[in-house]
Amino acid sequence: MEALSNQILVAVTFAFLAASVLYLCHWAFKSKVFGWAASGVTWASLAVLTLAIILRWVASHQMGIGHAPFSNLFESLVFFSWTIAVIYLIIESTTWMRVIGAFAVPLAFLSMLYALTLDPAIKPLLPALKSNWLIAHVITCFLGYAGFAVSAALGAMYLATGLSKDPASPRALVLDNLIYQTVVVGFILLTAGIVTGSIWANSAWGTYWSWDPKETWSLITWLVYASLLHSRFMRGWQGKRMAVFSLVGFACVLFTYFGVNLLLSGLHSYATNG
Amino acid sequence: MSQDQPRKPFLERIWDFFASVKLSFFLLLLLAVLSIAGTLIPQKESAAVYVRAYGEAGWRFISAIGLDDLYHAPWFVLIMALLAANLVICSINRLSLTMRILGKDPADEANSMRKPKDSFTLAGEPGANLERARGVLERLVGQSAQADDQGRTVLFAQRGGWSRFGVYVVHASVLVIMAGALVGNFWGYSGYVNIPVGGSVDHITLHNGRPRPLGFTLRLDKFNVSFYPNGMPSEYRSEVTFLEGGKQTHQASLIVNDPAEYHGIDFYQSSYGNDLKSVELQLIRKNGSKQDLTLEAREINQLPGGAKAAIQGWRERVQMGGMYDGPVIRLLYQGPKGEPQAYTAFKPGVNMPQSGPLRFEILKVQTEAYSGLQVKYDPGVWLIWVGCSLMVLGFFIAFYFSHRKVWLRLGPTGKGRTKVEIAGATNKNRQSLARLQSRLRHELGGSPKEAE
Repeated sequence: MEALSNQILVAVTFAFLAASVLYLCHWAFKSKVFGWAASGVTWASLAVLTLAIILRWVASHQMGIGHAPFSNLFESLVFFSWTIAVIYLIIESTTWMRVIGAFAVPLAFLSMLYALTLDPAIKPLLPALKSNWLIAHVITCFLGYAGFAVSAALGAMYLATGLSKDPASPRALVLDNLIYQTVVVGFILLTAGIVTGSIWANSAWGTYWSWDPKETWSLITWLVYASLLHSRFMRGWQGKRMAVFSLVGFACVLFTYFGVNLLLSGLHSYATNG
Repeated sequence: MSQDQPRKPFLERIWDFFASVKLSFFLLLLLAVLSIAGTLIPQKESAAVYVRAYGEAGWRFISAIGLDDLYHAPWFVLIMALLAANLVICSINRLSLTMRILGKDPADEANSMRKPKDSFTLAGEPGANLERARGVLERLVGQSAQADDQGRTVLFAQRGGWSRFGVYVVHASVLVIMAGALVGNFWGYSGYVNIPVGGSVDHITLHNGRPRPLGFTLRLDKFNVSFYPNGMPSEYRSEVTFLEGGKQTHQASLIVNDPAEYHGIDFYQSSYGNDLKSVELQLIRKNGSKQDLTLEAREINQLPGGAKAAIQGWRERVQMGGMYDGPVIRLLYQGPKGEPQAYTAFKPGVNMPQSGPLRFEILKVQTEAYSGLQVKYDPGVWLIWVGCSLMVLGFFIAFYFSHRKVWLRLGPTGKGRTKVEIAGATNKNRQSLARLQSRLRHELGGSPKEAE
């Protein structure tokens, strides 16, 4: 079942690639057919990806080391891809702006592609990782990361489609508002992720905050987005500035996620040997 | 500030400075940038680590401005205090504005209708439609106020005014979390203790190295490590008993992620290992005579013949290239008449250099397992959780609820029908106001908008 799950994950990676290409064609050729096909492939990929995650969960139980599949870098990348697809599809089905897919879905593909370069073996959990707070922590953090990923995709789209030249147009206003909305979603979930992580650390090590690099970078990310939200109260910090800010914020997210593990050491560095 | 305006008094200018959102924006980003430095420079290491990495001059600079413990450096704490001051003053400033908005007389609001965004007509004179319109408005929005506008009737209602407090809940939550951290810093402590299986302790060692009495006794009844089939450890478990005045008062199981609490002090499973219990040695004198001794660890052993010996330290296994591989014991031995002298004992059969007139060889080492516990007392931690809950709650209020105001104006059309006009205002979330207005239109019986 583990092998089956891994095969499905490879197929889903290609499906996300296909969806990305279809969304790009939709954007380039302004063709509705490409748009429908892209949405269809993305929905199908999400459904199959969900199945693969469940299969992996079941497989771990059959191996007698059952745990939710959120425990190492491989599993978190797969879940990150899942959350990006979920948040993007929610936005697509409320706005019907399929062009966003050309910017958001490639992120889901890249996350899967990175996962495929890692060892997919299901391993038992270290004692410190055996906690229900782990599940709450990972789900909230990664949904938050996905919110920020989609807001960065929207920011890139804002800059790439030349909307910054006409910030008062209805399309620019909608996109500006969407960037704000996805940042809000990401911000609330990141906050919840930091809180659940603190509760977990408090029960595992007796300290809710120890300023290790991962914790500190999550705080840095939080501070950057907190200042972004405050910047909306200052005149002129909308449109293009918002778009650029969403990209800077996502750079912090990426560093919190990957950079800390690869370049700095700390409690979360378990992922480097994953 | 323009040139011809008189300068504001000094205190007022300071107040305005602290009340600005620009300052919050700047401080949040400043804290973010400074925090990065703390993740690039190793924290709380010994001087040698910094000298090796940055040189003598670099280390002097780092220690002078506290970069080796950045998050506790006075200036870092000062910036956080500035942020707290900014938060409080900004909130007080805005709060008076919020109270003015919420305290507005509904009758005045009814008199100052916004520009209508939507209108339609209903059958019947305005007088016949008024009560039904009021009913729908009060059901969907809230209590209504009424005003006259040149022969037409204006109804006003609002909802969600309380959501304007969301931002204050968030700001207060940050202060509560800061307060929790301060309480923990001033009144809390943390340390560790190693307990051998079957042994008891009545004090712990704080992280600064000082002992601290617990006020009760903690006994380790059992320690167990379980493994996965692949050899990875799966669980560490300590069974402990708390005792007061020799009487058992509480029993608990400690596993990683599941600490035990007694009298507000938390005990966490954190490590385990082996301690020396006793060692059997052979004493070999210069003249070749031999004597077997058993030394208990942590005791001064009175030996037959009036000699005394104590274990000073031990290593379970020492590898010295190809010369030696085995346990090493350091001990103090005092003959019946002489001065105490330090010796190092190795396994027999190896010719290690020995000091002193005697030689000791290790026959048998007896160890006992111990369990390592982290110990923490933090009276501020509940404030942290209250603050965190308030923060998430505050975000939901601040971001997902809005203060919406709705006006309905009913006037005659001259054809025996009523013209209904809808206007609205909101402090955020325009879509939700638009939804509310279209629902009002629908329930009042207006034709679908496209049909107009």
